[in-house]
Amino acid sequence: MNRTYILLGLILAVLLVLPLMLSKYMLGIFIMMYYYAYLGQSWNVLTGYTGHISLGHALYVGIGAYTSVFLAQRYGLSPWIGMFAGGVLASLIGLFLGFLGFRFGLRGVYFVILTIAFAEITRLIVSHIDALGSFTGIFLDFNPSFKNFQFKGNIPYYYISLGFMVMSLIVVRILETSKAGRFMVAIREDEEAAKALGVNTFKYNMFAIAVSAFMTSLGGCFYANYIFYLHPNTMFGMSLNIELILRPIVGGLGTLFGPVVGSFILTPLSEVSRAYFAKGGMEGLHLVIYGIITILVVLFMPKGIIVYLKKWLKPILSKE
Amino acid sequence: MDYKTMKQNSIDRRTFLKLSGAAGIGIAASTFGVPSFLHAAPETIKIGSIQPVTGPLAIIGQGTRLGNQLAVEYINANGGIKSMGGAKIELLLGDSESKPEVGRQEADRLIKEGASILLGPFQSDVAMAIATLAEQRQVPFVMDVAALDDITKKGYEHVFRIFITSGGLVAGALKYYKTLIEISGVTPATAVVANVGDAFGKGMSDGFLKMLESSGLPIKIVERIQYPLGIQDLSAEVAKIKAAKPDILFPVSRPGDSVILLRELYKQKVSLMGIFGPGSPGWYEPDFVKDMDKLAYHTLVNVPWINPSSPSYQRGNAAFQKAVGKNLDTNSAYAYTGPLVIADALERAGSTKREAILKALRETNFKDHPVVGGPVKFDEKGDNTGAMTALIQVQPDPDLQKRVKIVLPKEFAQSDKIVFPAPQLWER
Repeated sequence: MNRTYILLGLILAVLLVLPLMLSKYMLGIFIMMYYYAYLGQSWNVLTGYTGHISLGHALYVGIGAYTSVFLAQRYGLSPWIGMFAGGVLASLIGLFLGFLGFRFGLRGVYFVILTIAFAEITRLIVSHIDALGSFTGIFLDFNPSFKNFQFKGNIPYYYISLGFMVMSLIVVRILETSKAGRFMVAIREDEEAAKALGVNTFKYNMFAIAVSAFMTSLGGCFYANYIFYLHPNTMFGMSLNIELILRPIVGGLGTLFGPVVGSFILTPLSEVSRAYFAKGGMEGLHLVIYGIITILVVLFMPKGIIVYLKKWLKPILSKE
Repeated sequence: MDYKTMKQNSIDRRTFLKLSGAAGIGIAASTFGVPSFLHAAPETIKIGSIQPVTGPLAIIGQGTRLGNQLAVEYINANGGIKSMGGAKIELLLGDSESKPEVGRQEADRLIKEGASILLGPFQSDVAMAIATLAEQRQVPFVMDVAALDDITKKGYEHVFRIFITSGGLVAGALKYYKTLIEISGVTPATAVVANVGDAFGKGMSDGFLKMLESSGLPIKIVERIQYPLGIQDLSAEVAKIKAAKPDILFPVSRPGDSVILLRELYKQKVSLMGIFGPGSPGWYEPDFVKDMDKLAYHTLVNVPWINPSSPSYQRGNAAFQKAVGKNLDTNSAYAYTGPLVIADALERAGSTKREAILKALRETNFKDHPVVGGPVKFDEKGDNTGAMTALIQVQPDPDLQKRVKIVLPKEFAQSDKIVFPAPQLWER
């Protein structure tokens, strides 16, 4: 166990000094890696640990982004505070969705449809609210300052996104070892059996969705102040829903490091291959390769890459 | 694997040295192929072009990228940037995949690879992401195509737009509508607005309606019809139009539904003075003109458009024809304009320094471009004051290619007559 912490500490130390030697572009890749690892981790809390598949997590990303931006533009509230307001709102909406789903015992595909429906309905509603920029979206002002969560270079974004990811790891680690986390895993393995053993499944399902929604929405605030543009289709749309779940699935669902490993593999893969093939005039090929690798992983490593990674690392980590 | 095959497959040290030596000489020869003392080797100027080459807009994006590339080829073939010793332009290619965050990341990569100017990106959302990045990294960004007003409203110092703004598009529609009334001497009293219910259709028709109301023209909107994108049957909607008995129809549609709409108008014999698209695709594309034949005649549409009689268009079109066998369309023509405007600015800047480029871009007065519009000049926001739309009309011509004609403004017109009111659909 000690060795695991030493290895993680080493990795973190390397990540902390990376900005000293990387260009802004390379930092941009790392920022996207951390961002998607964070979102994947947030999604993992619900789907990975309780087994309820959500295909509508973009909903919470969008709520976080729109709430913090709205509060900042209207009332001058710093996104650092606004993002928690977004988190609370996302949690409430998550709880409402969870209430409908868990109270009435929606399982599997029916729960999936419910989550997609919520994301799509919100997308359509936001597309027609003028105060939220309706279908033209919101363009953020660029006023770099710490209070505004906006910066000129990539280094602050790098550390913030790294902080987000590390925090999510800590939260999920605490959750994993807590009673609530164990109950959630019990629900995932067999909800009926868990219930029979006295687990209040409704309560822990609701807990999981609230935490997951809260965490996801903080990511939305980061995205808004990094990209400076919000559009209902990109914030609530299906492509973000899918983008968000790919990494934990490839990395390893329901594991602490799965989303991180998935993001550290998929994000650079898509970036580097895009840049490489674009130069050779073979644009589009990177998407094919990305797709093939995802399919191969799902076919041959259904439990995710993390399982194999653990096997490789075992000799190093187990020597006490 | 036994030792023998291993031996065959591996490379020993000598072979490696020989190979790498040869490769080294090869690379050196290709880089310094021309003895450098013969001329002062001009530096290359890198421009980063970001277009949606893959994803849902791939076909258009490939056309706009080609537009960028062909213009750069033309500039280089004509001696590059003369004020900088004939420096050649190198176009660095980026693909936004139609996603803002990818566009931003690609822009950052191209800046890292040495781009002194960014160019692109066809979509307004991607444009905004890149615009902010350009401001963060202090790199000039010239938008060839991107219409949304808001992009330049932030007052960014590094952002310039050649394309018309969405506000300019709607204003153009009203201007041409007024001119149409003057020229024809006929004033339609009632109108129906029919639009597809997506962001574009709703935004465009809302804007036009608002402007029409405040213009004080004596026209009454007797019906507003919205239908979902991808609709397969418009018979009920057209029945409503017929019942409202409008003089004129203002459609904002997409290529698929304009065919259905027009066929249904014909079938139900809806009598109209004419069809006037305030900014609607779908009524002038080559396939539409061919398939609809006589039904397509006389429809008027306000669009950003090519200027076929300009020498720049003829050059660009010839190159485009040679490359893909198609005519240079509006989007690609604007994309073709991008590098020309940049090269013109570089010529005057005489340097790739940021301040010099920005100053030169602000002083741009560029006439030799392939689209309808005045000389490209940038106002304080970075918008092109010369950008304008054209009013086009499909007119009878034995040559299908020549049926779509510019009728307004007069100085660009390809046909001196505007058919309005038009003969009824079933009387043609």
